[in-house]
Amino acid sequence: MLLDLVQNTVDGLAVGAAYGLLALGFTLIFGVMRRLNIAFGPSIMIGIFAGAWLHAEWSVGMVPVFLAVLAGAVITAAYVERISFAAIRGDAALASMASSFAIWMQLEEAVARVFPGRTYGFPTFDGMPMIEIGPVLLRPEYLVMLVTAAALVAALQWGLAHTRFGLELRTLADRPEAARVSGVNVARVAFLTFLLAAAIGGIAGFLIAAADGQITPKIGLWATIKGLIAMVIGGLGSLRGALIGGLVLGVVEANAQWFLGAAGREMTTYALLFLALVLLPAGLAGRTEAGARAEAERRL
Amino acid sequence: MLTLENLSKLFGGVRAVDDVSLTIREGEIFGLIGPNGSGKSTTINLITGLYTPTTGKVTLDGHDLTAMAQHERTSMGVARTFQNIRLFGNLTVAQNLWVAQNGHEQRRAHFLARWFKAGGEHGPDIEELLRFSQLHSKRDLQANALSFGEMRRLEMARALASNPRVLLLDEPAAGASQEDAQLLAERIRAVRDRGVTVLLIEHMMELVMGITDRIAVLNFGRKIAEGSPAEVQMNEDVRAAYLGGSHKNEELVHA
Repeated sequence: MLLDLVQNTVDGLAVGAAYGLLALGFTLIFGVMRRLNIAFGPSIMIGIFAGAWLHAEWSVGMVPVFLAVLAGAVITAAYVERISFAAIRGDAALASMASSFAIWMQLEEAVARVFPGRTYGFPTFDGMPMIEIGPVLLRPEYLVMLVTAAALVAALQWGLAHTRFGLELRTLADRPEAARVSGVNVARVAFLTFLLAAAIGGIAGFLIAAADGQITPKIGLWATIKGLIAMVIGGLGSLRGALIGGLVLGVVEANAQWFLGAAGREMTTYALLFLALVLLPAGLAGRTEAGARAEAERRL
Repeated sequence: MLTLENLSKLFGGVRAVDDVSLTIREGEIFGLIGPNGSGKSTTINLITGLYTPTTGKVTLDGHDLTAMAQHERTSMGVARTFQNIRLFGNLTVAQNLWVAQNGHEQRRAHFLARWFKAGGEHGPDIEELLRFSQLHSKRDLQANALSFGEMRRLEMARALASNPRVLLLDEPAAGASQEDAQLLAERIRAVRDRGVTVLLIEHMMELVMGITDRIAVLNFGRKIAEGSPAEVQMNEDVRAAYLGGSHKNEELVHA
């Protein structure tokens, strides 16, 4: 029982790291644009299918597959940004959300037409040995997930603190009016943030697909939902929160799956989301508006 | 240098700015005053590009700014501060300046090169700006951690980091004591002495009358007077505008 718990938690942390990356992508876009991109997951799905197709047709190795996933996700994200975000930037945030919802359906339908089967194979990391840590087993693809997620987050943290683009992104999330008059090109930073988010999501999608070994067009919706839930649990607009939210979601899901079964896992996931909204409306890492105001007043 | 030509802005049926023309000369400190709701802030927002004018245009050294985006106007040399301070609170003091830093060569550089290069090579020298604003000892503190006065100084320094030709100050003395206002007056003169033209919006009449070269007065969106501080103070229309039962009238008379 206890060993199961530990084993599930280890597995859950790995999958949760991938959820965290999905949530990170959502959070970057939300932070800069104050808009939700429902088509985030489906953009990643396009990349995943591009990789699977390349592998099926040309039997290429993991590196070309990875690059195809990345390119597919980023190019699709550029399309989504132009159609659903850049074109209606001045209008209500809801307009972008509804528009990205329509784009999601369009993308999913297009893939379902081109790939009419229900599931397709995705190449896996073959030939890597299972890692034993005492009685606990770590799947090699999960180790890759954990290491990649940690490296990506570290790189992102560094970039946000030390590059001009990183600082511009933060000023736009923090004080859009002041960023504009300080010479920040809002349209360009928003566009590149979109591409950055898609690249991070593409990496997460590649790792998840490679761990599962099979994909369906529904993986887009799935990625959107997991990323959104992780983001809300962690607290909207906080990068650290997105990551923590992803890890919590992964661990809870893995244990619920083991102890309660697949149906129990889904129920537990939504119960977790419900509890997070009721008990911690600002998320695990978030702070409330009232708290932020109190802090501001203390300063003055 | 900075000219507003027949500028108007309608919000619904309300004429927030009504056919205002102004010419601000190179190197002067120009005051823009008027009772609350007279259109001063709208005018600033029309100059920086937050609003697009209903009619009229804004030019800087003959270049028409009217159709430009806000960040393009910033690189043309328009900078501003906000009445309610808007700093990048999670960035350090130095980073606040670095983000805004803007120089001619830098603008031409490839954007990737710009983004990955550490600041300080082009545009105003950040270390010098920090000393100018007496913030050098705080350079690595988060902007959130500064005192109110330091925040005001940092906001002005950030505006200067964009290498402006003209700096718009939106009520910089709000919340300041008499002594602070004295220091602020010196600071504004020092900014002008750096070669930056200043457009000052301010309610503290002592400050406006003391340091401006010329003043324009707005009331209900229209320009009702323009001239030296002495001329404006004697103007009948201005006195009438400030006589609306507001304490501002006394300030005007006693300044």
